[in-house]
Amino acid sequence: MTEPVIVASGLHKRFGANEVLRGVSLTAQQGEVVAIIGASGSGKSTLLRCIPLLEVPDEGEIVIGGEALAMVERRGRRVPADARQLGRMRSTLGFVFQSFNLWPHRTVLGNVIEAPVHVQGRPRAECVAEAEALLAKVGLADKRDAWPAELSGGQQQRAAIARALAMRPRALLFDEPTSALDPELVGEVLQVIHALADEGRTMLIVTHEMGFAAEVASRAIFLDAGVIAEEGPSRQIFAAPETERCRAFVRRHMERHGRR
Amino acid sequence: MDELDFLGNTLLQLLSGVPLTIELTVGSVAIGAVLALLLTLLRAGSRIGALFVSAFVFVFRGTPLLLQIFLIYYGLGQFAAIRASVFWPFLREPWCCAILSLALNTAAYESEILRGGFASVPAGAIEAGRACGMSRLLLLRRIILPLAIRQALPAYGNELIAMVKATSLASLITLMEVTGIAYAIISQTYRAIEVFLCAGIIYLALNFALTRGVAAMEAWLGPSVRRA
Amino acid sequence: MGDLVRLLGFGPTGWGASLLTGAAMTLAVSAAAYLVGLVLGALGAWGKVGGSASTRRVVDVYTTVFRGIPELLVIYLIYFGGSEALSSAGHLLGSTGFIGLNGFMAGTLAVGIIAGAYQTEALRGGFLAIPRGEIEAARAVGMGWFLMLRRVVGPRTLRFALPSMGNIWQQVLKESALISVTGLSELMRAVNIAGGSTRLPFDFAIAGFVLYLVLTTFSGGVLRSVEYSVARGERGR
Repeated sequence: MTEPVIVASGLHKRFGANEVLRGVSLTAQQGEVVAIIGASGSGKSTLLRCIPLLEVPDEGEIVIGGEALAMVERRGRRVPADARQLGRMRSTLGFVFQSFNLWPHRTVLGNVIEAPVHVQGRPRAECVAEAEALLAKVGLADKRDAWPAELSGGQQQRAAIARALAMRPRALLFDEPTSALDPELVGEVLQVIHALADEGRTMLIVTHEMGFAAEVASRAIFLDAGVIAEEGPSRQIFAAPETERCRAFVRRHMERHGRR
Repeated sequence: MDELDFLGNTLLQLLSGVPLTIELTVGSVAIGAVLALLLTLLRAGSRIGALFVSAFVFVFRGTPLLLQIFLIYYGLGQFAAIRASVFWPFLREPWCCAILSLALNTAAYESEILRGGFASVPAGAIEAGRACGMSRLLLLRRIILPLAIRQALPAYGNELIAMVKATSLASLITLMEVTGIAYAIISQTYRAIEVFLCAGIIYLALNFALTRGVAAMEAWLGPSVRRA
Repeated sequence: MGDLVRLLGFGPTGWGASLLTGAAMTLAVSAAAYLVGLVLGALGAWGKVGGSASTRRVVDVYTTVFRGIPELLVIYLIYFGGSEALSSAGHLLGSTGFIGLNGFMAGTLAVGIIAGAYQTEALRGGFLAIPRGEIEAARAVGMGWFLMLRRVVGPRTLRFALPSMGNIWQQVLKESALISVTGLSELMRAVNIAGGSTRLPFDFAIAGFVLYLVLTTFSGGVLRSVEYSVARGERGR
C-alpha cells in the first residue's frame, strides 16, 4: 500500500479551559476525498487547521508525505521546531479558508502567482502561464487583472482555490469553503470543488453542506465534542449511520439543506 | 499699482524662503520616518522597549513643539559637557536644532501612524500567507509591510502637511524660511494683511502639491485594505 | 538639588509662582480660544450642511485656509494686522494714535479662528455620523426643527464629534504656546524668561514639559470620562 498523504495521530488541543480536540486521529490516502462533519464547536475546523500547524496541537503528531512535522516545547507551549521544514511542508498543501483571505493589495493573478514565485521560487513566466490556465479552470479567466474587492464572494473563493492549486499541492484542505457565501453563490464554488474531486485529488473538506459532502466524498468523519464519534465510507455516514448521534445530526442537516 | 508692486515684491522675497522650508520639511520627515521605524521595532522587541516608546510618544505628543525646540536649541547649551563634545558644532546651529526637534516630534506621531497601519492588516491575509509556507521575513516583506503602508498613507499625508506648517516655528530660532521672512517684512512695513496673503498662498500651494503627490502615490500603489 | 527646589519654589528667588501663573494663563487663553472656535465651528458646520452652494464654498475656503496655513502666521496676522485694522478704523472715527490688540485678545482670536476651521469639520462629521433613522424618527413623532435640534441633533452630533473635539482641545492647549510671541505671559513665555534669566534653560524647559503634560493628561482624562458617559446608551449590558 502506498504511503498515506496525511496522517494525524492522537491530536489534543485546548483553548484556555476549553478542550476542543480530545484525541483525534485521521489518515488521508492518495486520491481520497474525506469529508469532516459535525456541529459548531465540535472541533472540525481546529482539526483541519492542525494539519499545516496553523494551530499547534498540544499533543499528537502530524505526518505529511511520510515526514513528521517537528514540534518542540518552549516556555510551556508547543511550537513548530523547524521553520524551514514547516514552510516547505505548508507549500505542498493547498489551504482554502472560509473567508477566502485573498491579499487585497494584489490582483487575482497576483494572488495566484504570489506563493509559486516567492515561496517555491519557480520562474515567473511559468507561474503566470499556469495561473492563467487555473483561472480558466475555475471560470475566472476574464478576472485575471481584477482586484479582490471587485469580486463577488463566490468569485473570490474560486480565486482562492486557484491560488491553492497553483502551488501544485499534494493535498487540498477546505475549511468550510461555502459557509461565508450567499446562498446563490454556493453552487459555483461547489461545482469547482466537485471537478477537483473528479480529477482524483486528495482532499479534506470541512463542510456543512451535507448533500454535497455525500456526493463528493469517498469517506467521512463525524466529529462530536472533540472526538470522532463515527467514521467510515460516505455511503455509511450519510445514508446509514451506525451511531445515534450521527444519525440525528445527518438527518437534521439533510432536512435543512436538502439534497442537491 | 503700488499695492500690486508691494504684493509682487513680497511674494518674490517670500519665495526665496521656500527652499529652506522644503529642506526642513524633507529633512525632518525623512529622519522622523527612520526614527519611527526604530521606535516600532523597539516597541515590538521588549516590554521595557514598549514602555520607553509609550513614554516617548506621550511626552512628544503632549507638549508644544515650540517648547521642544526651546529645549534642544537653548536647553542643551546649558551643559558644559555638551558644549565640549563633538556634537556641539552641530547642536549650536539653529538649522540642526530645528531638524532634530522637528524629527523627534514627527517620529512620535509617525510611530503611532505606523502602529495603526500594522494593526489594520487583516489577520486573514497573514494567515493565508503562513498557510502558503511563507517565512516570517517573506510574510513581512510581501504582505504585512505593503498593506500597512497603504493603510497608513492618508494619515501620513496629513502628517506631512502638519510638518510643513511646523517648519514655520524655525523662524523663532533665527532661521529665514518663509515665515521668518514674512515676519521681517511685517516688522518693517507693518502691512500684515498683504504679507499674510502672500505667505498664505505659498503655504497653500505647498500643501496642494503635497496632497496631490500623496493621492498619486495612493493611486499608484493600488487598492488598500480600506476599500476592500 | 536643593538649588532646583529653591528655583522652582515660591520664595523670592523662586520661579514657581511665575510658572504656575503662566500655566493658569495658558488655560485661560486656551479656554477662550476654544470657545471662539466652537462658535465659529458651529456656524461653519451649519453652513456646510444646510447652506447653499455658495455658502458651502465660503466655508470651504475658511477651513482650507486656516487648516493649511501655519498657526504662527495667523497669529502675526491678527496681532499686527488686527492692530493695523483697529487703528485705521479708529482713525476713521476720529481718534489719533495706535489702538492695539493685546496679546490675550489677539491670541484668543487667532487660535480660535484656527480651531474653528477644525471644529467645523469635526461637527460636520459628527452630524453626518448620526444614523438617518434617528432624525426620521424625530420627524415622525412631530418634533419641530428647533426641538429636534435641542433634543436629538445637538446631543447626537456632540456624541459623535466628541473625540475630534477633544483632539482640538489638546491642539489648542499646545498652540497657546505660540501666543508667547505676542508677549502674553502664558507658560511658554514664563519658561523662556525664567530660563533666560537664570541661565538654566534646560531645567525650566523640563519644568515646562511637566506642567504641559499635567494639563494635557488631565484634559485627556476628563475627555475620556465625558466620552464614556455620553455613549451611555450604546454600551450594552
